[in-house]
Amino acid sequence: MGDTKPDVLQGTLDLMVLKTLESLGPMHGYGIARRIEQMSDDTLSLNQGTIYPALLRLQQRKWITAEWGTSENNRRAKFYTLSRLGKKQVEKEVESWERVAATMARFLAPSH
Amino acid sequence: MEWLRILLSRWNAFLHPKRLDEDLDDELQSHIDFAVEENLGHGMTEREARKAALVKFGGVTQVREIYRRRRGFPSVDTFLQDMRLAQRQIWRSPGFAIVAILTLALGIGANTAVFTLTHALLLSSLPVAAPNQLVRLAVALDSNDEDDRNAPLSLPMIQSIQQRSHSFSGILGWCVYDFVLREGGSMHGIHGAMVTGNAFEVLGVHPAAGRLLVSADDQPGGGLNGWAGVISYRAWMEKYHADPTVVGRHITVTDRAVTIVGVAPEGFEGALVAEHPDIYLPTEFDGSLNGEASLHSGGHLWLTTLARLKRETSRAQAAAEMDSIFPAVKDQTLTPAILALAEVKKSRLLVTPGRTGWSSLRLEYTRPLLLLQLLVAAVLVICCLNLSGLLLARASARRKEFALRGALGAGRPRLMRQLFVESLMLALPGALLGIALAWFAGPWILHSLGSRQAEVSLSSRPDLAVLCVTAMCALVCTVVFGVAPAWTAGHTNAEDALRSTPGNSAAGYAGARRFFIPFQVALSLTLVVVAGLLGATVMRLRTESCGYRVENVLFYITDFNRVPQKGAALVSLYRRFVTRMEELPGVEDASVAEIPPLLHWDDSNNFVAAENARNTQPSSAYENSIAAHYFSAVGTAILAGRDLRNQDADLHSCLVNQSAARLYFPHHPALGETLREFLHDFEAGTNTFKDCQIVGVVQDSKYNTLHESPRPIVYLPISKDTSRLGGLFFVIHARSLAAARAAYLTALHEVAPDSPETEPFTFTQQFSDSIAREQLLSALSGFFALLALLLSGIGIYGLVAWNVTRRTTEIGLRMALGATRVAVFLLIMRQIATLLLIGLLAGGLTSFFVARSIRGFLFEVPAENPAIFAFAATLLALIGLVAALPPARRAVTIDPIEALRSE
Repeated sequence: MGDTKPDVLQGTLDLMVLKTLESLGPMHGYGIARRIEQMSDDTLSLNQGTIYPALLRLQQRKWITAEWGTSENNRRAKFYTLSRLGKKQVEKEVESWERVAATMARFLAPSH
Repeated sequence: MEWLRILLSRWNAFLHPKRLDEDLDDELQSHIDFAVEENLGHGMTEREARKAALVKFGGVTQVREIYRRRRGFPSVDTFLQDMRLAQRQIWRSPGFAIVAILTLALGIGANTAVFTLTHALLLSSLPVAAPNQLVRLAVALDSNDEDDRNAPLSLPMIQSIQQRSHSFSGILGWCVYDFVLREGGSMHGIHGAMVTGNAFEVLGVHPAAGRLLVSADDQPGGGLNGWAGVISYRAWMEKYHADPTVVGRHITVTDRAVTIVGVAPEGFEGALVAEHPDIYLPTEFDGSLNGEASLHSGGHLWLTTLARLKRETSRAQAAAEMDSIFPAVKDQTLTPAILALAEVKKSRLLVTPGRTGWSSLRLEYTRPLLLLQLLVAAVLVICCLNLSGLLLARASARRKEFALRGALGAGRPRLMRQLFVESLMLALPGALLGIALAWFAGPWILHSLGSRQAEVSLSSRPDLAVLCVTAMCALVCTVVFGVAPAWTAGHTNAEDALRSTPGNSAAGYAGARRFFIPFQVALSLTLVVVAGLLGATVMRLRTESCGYRVENVLFYITDFNRVPQKGAALVSLYRRFVTRMEELPGVEDASVAEIPPLLHWDDSNNFVAAENARNTQPSSAYENSIAAHYFSAVGTAILAGRDLRNQDADLHSCLVNQSAARLYFPHHPALGETLREFLHDFEAGTNTFKDCQIVGVVQDSKYNTLHESPRPIVYLPISKDTSRLGGLFFVIHARSLAAARAAYLTALHEVAPDSPETEPFTFTQQFSDSIAREQLLSALSGFFALLALLLSGIGIYGLVAWNVTRRTTEIGLRMALGATRVAVFLLIMRQIATLLLIGLLAGGLTSFFVARSIRGFLFEVPAENPAIFAFAATLLALIGLVAALPPARRAVTIDPIEALRSE
């Protein structure tokens, strides 16, 4: 069933999560997962569950912090916030990702 | 730092798994709820909404698992699981666990105890700066005596080397010395050391208080403020209660005023291992005590010498340099007469590693300790083999369990790890118990080595380094005895094992165990042979006549250096002293001797029968200076003639023992003949001789140690050489030791009130100390041999019992087909007999070489003693067969019908 949709590369998922938190501010897991799906126009095969190990990974590195809170529709949820370390990391990762993307683009460009 | 953050977070998660689990569950639940809500918003029914949410999420359980694995320390978690399982397994058969743990405790404990001593005497570094740069310089005289091949240096030699060599940044000389400390009215002995002024500087140690000695202190008469001394940290604590004002205090050491200038650092015992000096004085102090001439005599070899290599110099380079300069050093420092001696002419200067300092005990105890170390290592190997065998048997009994676990998805590594954890759970308590055992056994072994000096100053309690070795030992054991069972468990064939019969698939277990038995038997045989040889040696040493009666005899060293009497007057002081003691109640005989027997001290000289002096080469004999009643005091029979008398009329009389009588007067009785003694003055290079008349012939007796056969001895009166009267020994034979002690004290107060009281030693003690090494080796090797025999028995029993169980069906079939009970019995016994035979042959060969290599420890027992070999082999064969009997009997009582039905 995932044949037609590419899997999410490890590392890219982390960056997606970080970037989501950067642009939306504190957010719960479901919100992050939905945001990623929407941003990719549902072209990625993302099991929403895989977001949680990623969130743990980021917490362990102290790039994000988690806290229980209440959502706008009054539901208890765990909210994740980008930490100062995380912000720096986003900059670094974006930069390196752009470098890789640019390199790849040059490789894939039709040769003359 | 990132890894640290992750580690901390994981650690936190590891500690609170439950809370985090609940937290995760809540979070996942809220996620699903969000999704359901959104789906409901899209118009799905409740059921559809929930289903869609779960599909979108993926597997909740998988996520939870992945999450958990990332969160804590999963490997630790499974390890704990393994441990719990192992614990259950071990509790299930406590008997096996106890045997295993005790076996290991004995093996590991013995290794730890012996290694503690080896470490303390041979391996531990001196507590000084960069000990690896230190080397020891020693004169190797061309001699058969090991002491002479490791001789210390003289002060002029050290100075001469210092001038000529470029290899060292400093050379120090060191000698321990017993001083007399006078404090207030009381006087007592203090163990100290005389060191060259630069010694502390070369060693690179720093004072705990005040300062240490410097070269300026090492001048004739001492430094600017007289003699300077440094006390040990121990003395500072115990005697002065860490009083800082002790620095600058004046004390009297052997009648000389000494100022304490500082305290040596804590734990520093000097350059000599197994010594514990409490005061350090400069070498010039020796000049003041024993004369400048002796201090500056090049042939007076008394200073243990350590040198610090320059950074860029290797020990080999230093050794090469010493080879090239030592002839010149000898020429500069020795008199022509000494230089002319062959052993000096061919002597060399050795440069050996000095990291561990030096101890003369090493000459005596290195080999026994290494032998012990080998013995205990062999014991440990046997323990491991045995345990391995037992564990294999258990593993084979648990084949179904392994197969089942394998079938349920446990990987081979997981199964193997499980068994390793079980081994570890046995090894750890074993190691702990072993350390406890070593804690008590160490001091006992040290005591039994029979060196008072070593007992006082060597640490016999395991320290950190030793405990690390023990831990390694336990770990290696675990791997060694765990590997075979783990391997076979990991290779259990599920299909075979799950089929109901204990069939041929168990062959792997049997193969491994079969290999263990000959190995174990061979090692055990070697241990038994070694124990037998050492036991026979002790027996010989104890029972062979030594020519003395050792009970109720006390020796006191005298300290008459400070009495006013000298020469002949001192001789009469000695005589008054013994006469007074003999008058006192309970004293049978009292006398004086220069050299107490069996003390490993000797003095020898060249003698010849005066009548043959022209045409016979003088030959060497031991000599001893004694007073009247010496022979009755030590129980040596006078066979002909009379004893010496305490009179000057006997100045030119002597007694000889049987061997000396035979040596010098082979053709006629020695009594009444004249013996000529040659006196060679090495310093002056002159030869003189003295004649003495033989007034008595005494029974042969051992002189140096119990290990020698009686040699010629000439006994001369103490009045013969009045220059050596300072430190003779009183010999007191009394009805009881208490009476002897009381007599000595009374006489001391009456006859020589100014002389310090000295510590006595008993002849009995001396006798057993003289063979302490052998006794210890024989006792320990005997114990180890017994242990090895027991373990071999257990091993063989286990193998045969297991074999019979495994082959029950086969035996039943054979019996059903007409095999007799005898045939079945032989079938079982044949296998074990073959293994025993292989083991005995291999063991015999090993024992042969081991026995030859320990020849140095044996006394009048040939290393290839066939009786001992035969005895040991028979003993092992018997034990093996006896151990195999019960299971073999079980085999012949197998009911064929029952056996076949179980198929």
